[in-house]
Amino acid sequence: MTSKLRAAPRTARPLLVAALVLTLLAGGFAVCGGWAWYAAAHDDTAAYAGQRDAALAAGEQAVQNLNTLDHREVDRGLDLWESSTTGELHEQLAEGREEFTAQVKGAKTVTTAKVLSAAVTELDDRAGRARVLVALRVTVKAPGAEKTDKDSRMLGELTRTGGGWKLSALGQAPVGGTPAG
Amino acid sequence: MSTTRHLINSRRRRQARDPQPPAATPRTGVALLPPEPAGTAGEPENAPGPEPEAPEPEPAPAPARRRRPGALAVLCLLTLLLGGFAGWAHARAASLTGDPARQNTALTDLARTSEIKGQTGRAVAALFSYDHADPDAFDRAAGTLLTGKAVDQHAALLGEVAERADEQKAVITTTVTDSAVERVDGDRARVLVYADQSSVSTAGGKKKDEAQDEGVYAGAMFAVDVVLRDGRWLVSSLDTFGR
Repeated sequence: MTSKLRAAPRTARPLLVAALVLTLLAGGFAVCGGWAWYAAAHDDTAAYAGQRDAALAAGEQAVQNLNTLDHREVDRGLDLWESSTTGELHEQLAEGREEFTAQVKGAKTVTTAKVLSAAVTELDDRAGRARVLVALRVTVKAPGAEKTDKDSRMLGELTRTGGGWKLSALGQAPVGGTPAG
Repeated sequence: MSTTRHLINSRRRRQARDPQPPAATPRTGVALLPPEPAGTAGEPENAPGPEPEAPEPEPAPAPARRRRPGALAVLCLLTLLLGGFAGWAHARAASLTGDPARQNTALTDLARTSEIKGQTGRAVAALFSYDHADPDAFDRAAGTLLTGKAVDQHAALLGEVAERADEQKAVITTTVTDSAVERVDGDRARVLVYADQSSVSTAGGKKKDEAQDEGVYAGAMFAVDVVLRDGRWLVSSLDTFGR
């Protein structure tokens, strides 16, 4: 019994040392992991990539919204138009709303759109402005007529607002226009 | 030592079973219990650590020795906490860096993005232009700028056009008016291209052809997949959106 008792401190020390080594090792891993996490969370490039994707998603949705209108739900459609836009484009849409409503109700058309492909060409992260290209297929169904498809080469400008990225300008790429770098 | 531990363990088990402790054990039971619950009650995973050490303070409860299981418990707890944090932090970092938004380096890597844009624009212009007087240029472009399934796609799209251009002695010129890089993932990228095509026929005689002398403009849009091969971006796929 006494020999076993004397042996006890000797066996305890390596155990303690082993535990200490393990703790230090875990500490090393913790520092390493913490650093990797911090670096990943504070990466400017990642923030920029996030803005790019947010602008693109908003741009695709807004361009699609602005090319979608059902004469049976004109008000809802135009509300969506207005909520997808900002600045001058928003004002133009709001101003022309009544006239447009009358036109669409008269023509009884149902217009739907599908984004074929889209990409951001320019992104100014600080100013909150972006330019997007959206390849769009617009389908128009008029009463008593076949559906017609038309592909549109849309160019959109987005502005970041308190409510996210919104479309501030929209147009079609001109055919026979001057080439751009 | 194993006999001591065995003894203690069996005693403990008996204690747990019996409501009233046996007369012989109370002294040792009290001596060994206080340091133990501190470790086991707070951190259940910690139990295997302090337990083997528990027997030591029992025979000689000197203050210095009684502290050791405490230190061990603290170390084990610390190891678990640090290890847990390390694992969690690594997982967070991995989920952040593995984010698809980050893997796409379009625009975030500006140099590469503009390189892709420039080379793709030139490749598209060369691949979709045809001069009946210089068909070699067209073949050269097809031979050097295409790879993979784009070779067949290009032949299908432009074979007929080239034949007709030969008949009409036409010059087809394609100019990229706008393009944007959708995605860059290492040595692969996808580019959305807006291009204008003009066709000018130089065949004289028929009135129909004279009208074409003015040139016909058409707007086109398509997406191009490109891959990096030997420092150059080659077209690997053409997507005309089902047109």
